[in-house]
Amino acid sequence: MKNKIDSPASARIEVRGLSKRYHYQPVLDGLDLTVNGGELCVLVGANGAGKTTLLRIVASLVRPDAGEVFAGGYTLAHGGPYRRQIGYLGHQSLFYSDLNAVENLTHYARLYHLADSADRVTQSIQLVGLSAHRTKPVRTYSRGMQQRLAIARSLLHDPEVLLLDEPYTGLDPEAARFLDERLRQLRAPNRAILIAAHRPQGLLSIASHVAWLREGRIAQHLPVTRLGEDPALSAYLKETA
Amino acid sequence: MPKKPLLLTILDILTLILVPAALGLILIYTPVEVNMGPVQKVFYFHVASAWGGMLSFVVAAVTGALYLLRRELKWDWLSQAAVEVGLVFGLTAILSGMIWAQPIWNTWWVWEPRLTTTAIMELIYLAYFILRGALSTPESKARLGAVFAIISVITVPITFFSIRLYRTIHPVVIAAGSDAAFSMSPRMQTAFFTSLGVFTILLADLVWHRTRLAQLQSELEQKGLAS
Amino acid sequence: MNGLRRYLSAVWQVFRKDIQVEVRGRQGLPVMLVFALLVVFLFNFALQLSPGLQAGLTAGLLWVSLAFASTLGLNRSVSLEGENNALDGLLLAPVDRSAIFFGKTLSNLVFTLLVALVLLPVFSLFYDLNLLRPGLFLVVLLGQGAYTSLGTLLAALSIQTRTRDVLLPVLLYPLALPVLIAAVEASRGILAGTPLGDLRSWLFLLAACNVLFLAAGLMFFETILEE
Repeated sequence: MKNKIDSPASARIEVRGLSKRYHYQPVLDGLDLTVNGGELCVLVGANGAGKTTLLRIVASLVRPDAGEVFAGGYTLAHGGPYRRQIGYLGHQSLFYSDLNAVENLTHYARLYHLADSADRVTQSIQLVGLSAHRTKPVRTYSRGMQQRLAIARSLLHDPEVLLLDEPYTGLDPEAARFLDERLRQLRAPNRAILIAAHRPQGLLSIASHVAWLREGRIAQHLPVTRLGEDPALSAYLKETA
Repeated sequence: MPKKPLLLTILDILTLILVPAALGLILIYTPVEVNMGPVQKVFYFHVASAWGGMLSFVVAAVTGALYLLRRELKWDWLSQAAVEVGLVFGLTAILSGMIWAQPIWNTWWVWEPRLTTTAIMELIYLAYFILRGALSTPESKARLGAVFAIISVITVPITFFSIRLYRTIHPVVIAAGSDAAFSMSPRMQTAFFTSLGVFTILLADLVWHRTRLAQLQSELEQKGLAS
Repeated sequence: MNGLRRYLSAVWQVFRKDIQVEVRGRQGLPVMLVFALLVVFLFNFALQLSPGLQAGLTAGLLWVSLAFASTLGLNRSVSLEGENNALDGLLLAPVDRSAIFFGKTLSNLVFTLLVALVLLPVFSLFYDLNLLRPGLFLVVLLGQGAYTSLGTLLAALSIQTRTRDVLLPVLLYPLALPVLIAAVEASRGILAGTPLGDLRSWLFLLAACNVLFLAAGLMFFETILEE
């Protein structure tokens, strides 16, 4: 049994020297990044810059060529215990179309071996406003509804590390506001949040930090309050508003 | 472009000398077999080819495993080279087997264990290339090719035993003479083992060249000149 | 022990989910069943078979239909995870990823056994031969166990390719051959009234294949699925 490296209270993402190549091209090239507990870091960068790859590596869905990843006291090599702390929302919903919301979330609750799964599932569905549709197959949901349910899924097991890849895609204004509010609530000392967004303007009011991914590395990593220090980054953020 | 190693040049020369030498040995030095006549001499290269094919298969699996452990592409170049050259050696074994079989058994094909297993091995080799062809990134080709090569090499001996067991229950009745058995005189033995050795050297030479080719291909792809 | 319980619970959950999806969607099992029966009809006319068939031919036909139906089921089982990238969801689970392999192998096995449960009486009717024997159940269990575990492993490979479903048979059939040979031979023996003791070698071969492929799944499943 591998033991945790750090104390339990350290919800934190730490990436060191991360590299990944596809088709011989380096997508990530010796990338370093730290997101501490209580922080909400927005990851910005052009499409194809590697934001998704970075998130997927930290989520343990992609294996890096080199480098280390630590999350909340565990490292990627720990496997199961590492993944327990990770909540991930990608571009796809990860649902089984023929099953309904309750069944899909219950499936995840069981995979995570959660106690009182029935209550959790009901509450989660309620929280994202899908109670009325919970017995209909996910197939029948709109894109926005599926996204809302996917958000519920990623939060189901109360992860200390939250990785969201373009979470606002497909959300109508009301759902987007809901997500804003939810993210605000989620910021806590025992939670580290990393969100990839290629149009980050809306998130700046909730975020604590911004990290700019360029040419396979974090070119700039600043607290939101000090964004003025980097004119290039400020300009980039204005452009992509 | 990597310079051709001196060792490879030496190996080339060695191969160029040894293969004709072995051929000479077989054609001139060995006696003509009593029952089968001159066609029996196909046997030397036939078995040596089959040996080469099997050896290559094992090399492919081992280098595949090394790739999975080290994640260095050079092991994948070696692995795919071994599969490709092994494919050719296997084909040679089958064809030479058929040439040998026809005059003796009056049939081009017989479902005996070794021949059948070699044919299946060829199909697995081909499946390997189809698999690689259907993948998009060099990394996934290397990784999944390696896994397939390792799983394949484990099943081949099992396949052989199952067919052999099958044959004990459904024996093949062949026209003239048993399963092409004959005893080897000392000269034949010399030629036999020499052929095995020479073909191993030939295999090494071809695999090395093919590996270099894979390396070049890889470099071209990196520069975006090939897909 | 806690870890083991979680692991087994995850295996069970993957299995349960597969069954749940099938019950809800009803897309896999009926197709497998109909296809198996179609194969029987096709071969019946292609080979001009009739009641009073030899045990060997019946055994062969049974296993060909099961193999085809099983392959269909395997393809569907894995493509299910491709939709909405549900596989990511399984990969994120806080257990060793081999649990996914075992869960899916189990569900694939159950579906194929359900098809066999229909085929055995149907064959008995069509060919005037009693296939409902305990010995045969054992052979079907062992044979399909080996086939579906190898198949699940290779399906995980093929799902990542451009050609997807089409590739699985190409990869699976050459490697599964020993399993099929052993299964057919053992089935034939049982239908011909041979005591189980005499069929030891085949049963042993089948058991060995089960162990081998399950071990391969344990070792390679994660490597196959990682990017």
